[in-house]
Amino acid sequence: MNERVEPVYLEEKLEEIRADGHLRYRSRSLPTWCPGCGYFSMADGLTVALNRLGLDNKDVVVVSGIGCASRFPFFVNTYGFHTLHGRVLPVATGVKIGNDALTVIAVGGDGDAFAIGAGHIPHAARRNVDMTYLVFDNGIYGLTKGQTSPTSALGFRTSSTPYENGDMPLNPLLMLLSYEASWVGQAYAGRPHHLTDMITMAIEHKGFSFLRILSPCVTFDKTDNTYRNLGMKVRDIPEDHDPSDRLAAMALAMEEDHPALGLFYREDRDTLGEVMQDAARKAQAMNLAPKGL
Amino acid sequence: MNKAGTDIQFAICGSAGDGTIAAGDIMKRAAAAMGFHVIAFDVYPPEIRGFGKCISRIRVSSEQAYSLKEQTDVFVSLNDGHAIPHVGEVRDCGAVIYDDHLIAPVPEGGHISAHVRPAQIPYGLPIRQVSEQATNSARSRNIVVLGYVAGLLDMPPEPFHKVVNQKFATKPPAVAEANIKAFDAGFEVGRKVFRLDDVEVGSAPEADRGEAVMMTGNGAIARGFLEAGIQSYFGYPITPATSIMERLAVELPKAGGRFLQTEDEISAISATIGAGFAGSRAATATSGPGLALMTEMLGLGVMAEVPAVIVCSQRGGPSTGLPTKTEQSDLNLAVFGGSGDAPRIVIAPTNVEGCYRCAGMAFEIAEAFQVPVILLIDLYLSNRYETVFPSGRNVFAPKPRQAPERREGEEYKRFALTESHISPRALPGDPDMMYTATGLEHNELGKPGDVLHMKMNAKRHEKLKPATRYPGLTTCKRFGAEGKVDVGILGWGSTFGEILEAMFEAQEEGISCSAMKVVMLSPLPEEELRAFFDDCEVVLVPELNYQGQFANLVSGALGRPVVRLDRTCATPMAVADILAEVRRLASDVNEPAHAAAGGGA
Amino acid sequence: MAAPLHHVIIGSGSAGFGAAKTLREGDPDCRITMFTMDGIPFYHRYELPEIFRGRTDWRDLLAVPPSFYDEHRINLRRRCRVVDVDGAAHTVSLAHQETVPFDSLLVAAGGRAYLPENLTGQADLIHGFGSFEAAMKVYRDLPKGGSVIMIGGDMIGIDLLLTLLSTGYSVTLIVNAQTFWPHELSAGERAPLLDVLRNKGVRVIENARPVGISARNAGAPARQVALDDGTEVGGDVVMAFCGLASSVEFMLRADVDIERGLLVTPELRTTNEAIWAAGDVCQIWHDGDKAYKFYHGWKNVRVMGELAARNIQGAHEPFDVDVEDSIWVGEDGEIHSTFWTRET
Repeated sequence: MNERVEPVYLEEKLEEIRADGHLRYRSRSLPTWCPGCGYFSMADGLTVALNRLGLDNKDVVVVSGIGCASRFPFFVNTYGFHTLHGRVLPVATGVKIGNDALTVIAVGGDGDAFAIGAGHIPHAARRNVDMTYLVFDNGIYGLTKGQTSPTSALGFRTSSTPYENGDMPLNPLLMLLSYEASWVGQAYAGRPHHLTDMITMAIEHKGFSFLRILSPCVTFDKTDNTYRNLGMKVRDIPEDHDPSDRLAAMALAMEEDHPALGLFYREDRDTLGEVMQDAARKAQAMNLAPKGL
Repeated sequence: MNKAGTDIQFAICGSAGDGTIAAGDIMKRAAAAMGFHVIAFDVYPPEIRGFGKCISRIRVSSEQAYSLKEQTDVFVSLNDGHAIPHVGEVRDCGAVIYDDHLIAPVPEGGHISAHVRPAQIPYGLPIRQVSEQATNSARSRNIVVLGYVAGLLDMPPEPFHKVVNQKFATKPPAVAEANIKAFDAGFEVGRKVFRLDDVEVGSAPEADRGEAVMMTGNGAIARGFLEAGIQSYFGYPITPATSIMERLAVELPKAGGRFLQTEDEISAISATIGAGFAGSRAATATSGPGLALMTEMLGLGVMAEVPAVIVCSQRGGPSTGLPTKTEQSDLNLAVFGGSGDAPRIVIAPTNVEGCYRCAGMAFEIAEAFQVPVILLIDLYLSNRYETVFPSGRNVFAPKPRQAPERREGEEYKRFALTESHISPRALPGDPDMMYTATGLEHNELGKPGDVLHMKMNAKRHEKLKPATRYPGLTTCKRFGAEGKVDVGILGWGSTFGEILEAMFEAQEEGISCSAMKVVMLSPLPEEELRAFFDDCEVVLVPELNYQGQFANLVSGALGRPVVRLDRTCATPMAVADILAEVRRLASDVNEPAHAAAGGGA
Repeated sequence: MAAPLHHVIIGSGSAGFGAAKTLREGDPDCRITMFTMDGIPFYHRYELPEIFRGRTDWRDLLAVPPSFYDEHRINLRRRCRVVDVDGAAHTVSLAHQETVPFDSLLVAAGGRAYLPENLTGQADLIHGFGSFEAAMKVYRDLPKGGSVIMIGGDMIGIDLLLTLLSTGYSVTLIVNAQTFWPHELSAGERAPLLDVLRNKGVRVIENARPVGISARNAGAPARQVALDDGTEVGGDVVMAFCGLASSVEFMLRADVDIERGLLVTPELRTTNEAIWAAGDVCQIWHDGDKAYKFYHGWKNVRVMGELAARNIQGAHEPFDVDVEDSIWVGEDGEIHSTFWTRET
């Protein structure tokens, strides 16, 4: 972690950033997030990843639901669809089916994903829709000013849990591993370079990739998911972890006190688009009569 | 309905395992193949397995008919227990056909012959025996009796043979052969019977509009979609819309399109809107409960100006309601459902041909106005069969897209305020026009800052107004007498068939009346409606809901009074009910005392 | 309240119809069910020759409109064949497997045309005339101005014969013992009647018995009748009018006495307390003759139906024949009979 041994000069760094090219993926709209929000590093991570992968802005669609994280599309210079609370995955599925040539990135927070939108996750995952789902998990509702979320810790005090949260938090990684997601990983907003690498890998994956990004909410959570606490808890994924071993991935996912950062699980299987192409081929070959006559 | 020429209604009643619907299906297709107009409606039991009641009613006519008749001319019982309550619908001198050799004893009144009125004509035959002799099986009873009907009424066997062969084309040849044998055996029996009824099939009219195709409202919608180049379909099973999904599941992959059964209706509409955003001609179909779930996403489609097509086939409500019974009670939901002012286009065809044409144009209209289009039908329209004369090829084929002129990068005004209120739409993949669509109120760029709420609201409403005059789409139409009339009947959806039948009968009785169908419910064709109200002393609005939802819509929009005829009888409206109301209103209009009290204007 | 009595009537001819009407008049609450094999409601059989005058729509032949049955709550059950009557259980069984209980049963099933035994093998070549349906078949199969070969010639047949002559058809009459049945005539009594027919253009064949019938052309209803004298006669339609045989085969388990017809007391009750009979199906005890006798003819039959109905409802009226049957050649040179005109 000693990256800054050499002094960094602002002008040189700015020159380097401009030359890098990832700024063309940034929109002119300034993010509305609070200063210090972990989401800044994600926005940066995505633009760098898109740039690294050489994707044309016009061929990328960022789809979101509602929430702090879901403001994301406005801050990137690609096509974007800021939809409804909880509906990011079915809309993103429609976009991908509507035009298979597009690179579809779904983004959202933990409330959007695991509360109101939880019913859609298993289906996007099991269908293996070829898209990337980035869940910015800060364990709280920020946009509505600090209520408990499905990933809030037990005992967490919020405006909706004044007597402490008593609902067991969900384990998103365990959910996705059991939902047949074909790519499951975890990153941390406080490790931006690793985060960028993980986003890049997730987009590269053919099929449904799920990246949980742990992040603090600097405004409404002063006790639990702070940079300080998260920074102490997270660890690198063990080097000997085999990402094709789903049971091992599940065991790792259950170690919530020390979240592992890295690729938990990956498998290659047909995407929804491929299944549909196969259906089209079969339809030509079989020439089924419709029901009735 | 012209009284001259053929106009016969068949009804076949049996239990679920008797092949009742299959026999009705062959009958309707054979009649269509002979060149007749056909309207048919099947009633199924709600339970999936078991021996629930099935009735297939088929009206065969030489002139276009607009609804089923209340009286049946030829009635077939494949199960007396189910059929007995329906014998009364057979007209005087009509035929009641049944098995006169039951296999098990029944108590007094257990046989249908105990319930045939003296004016009706009983025809018994040993249906089961004939089937067993012809095919070594009692399973062909439905086909035997079909042959009997054809023989009795002197109908040519060839069209039946053709349809039977088509129907069993995918089965081993022995199946079709056995069914032909069963048909012929029944036909021979029927041919020798001494006729006492006065049912005349007559000859079919000369075909002048090409070959008729038999389809249901749902089938017509699927066909319209396919001809219009549908590219993606997302659906969730729900009665009575499911067969649209099932048809497209088979046909869409053949046409290179993409079909997905989603996890719920919310997902279905979400994916439809997503695909529409990406430029795909996308549709979904549901019923009232599903549409209720969809309204939030529908609002996003309105706000983000995304084209999409949503079919809603209404059934009895509210809540789960009457899933297998027809009703017209989702008008409010379709026209107004959702949060905020969310104008959308709602098109309600009145017959199967209308389903086909409206579905054929729905994508074009959705694209032209950048808005979700709801096709509002009902169970009666979804499931009833009619002969339709499909358009020549390519009538509904999609027109080439006109991409907007290039704008520079982030300055592209996706929601530019224009004279037509319609803004050129870029699709993902179009270079240099990246924008973010949103459900937030926004400015011309689509950004949620510096919002123009009043202007954008006006834009979303005003842009739809020309839809009532969209070329090629009948958004309203007047029938019957022109000019001033005593009674005007205003209708929408499937009920308009009964309205037309009632109006023709009222005209024959000398009542001055006229009927208007309104196909576009949102926006309303107000100018034409106003002219109709100006011409009518009184306007009657028959519809199948309790609140008079269409009456409310029209009288609210026009500020004119209407007379309501609201029925929630779980069946199509009775022509007699409408006719009685028309008679009453006509006599009110013409009653001198009433006219004098009215002030002699 | 006791359940209303259920009166079942087998047959919807003059006797059955008259009985139903009378039962309803006598008891507004009872249930009345009338079974018939016919496809249409009650009509007078003697009006069937009218078909040849163009009355071919069955609705024109009905004695009362169909609504009569609804109004009088008579459950008229057509196309129903009674196959069994259980005289102990008081039930009627129908061919289609329905069992109907009764409190009283009136058998008024009438009779069917008797066919000479030597011709029963060729029954399918002989046109019947027992129902509207059969009569219409004759009408349709007979070409305009065609010819009918009539075997026997009972009074029903002679009625048709006279109508046929007046409507432009020709008739060959093969005389046998049943000619002019139910009048029982000697050869001498018969001769002037036959002369009347001859004068009208009927070809009358006496002293020869038909022994075979053949179809002349495949498909066409043209017939050839071979006689026992070796000659043959040709015609378009062959009909047999040789009197009536009672329809009683479904009564074998009914616990009633049967000879040729059902044996009934003068009050028309059978040997089963709950079962009565009326019309051509029954033989009535004649105290004077000490014998059971048939009484044919429309008038007798109707009287019997009404009488049986009254007796079923508690009366004790005996059947009384007030008119002697007779047949004669009138001053107008025409044949007259009490069988047709109900007057002497």
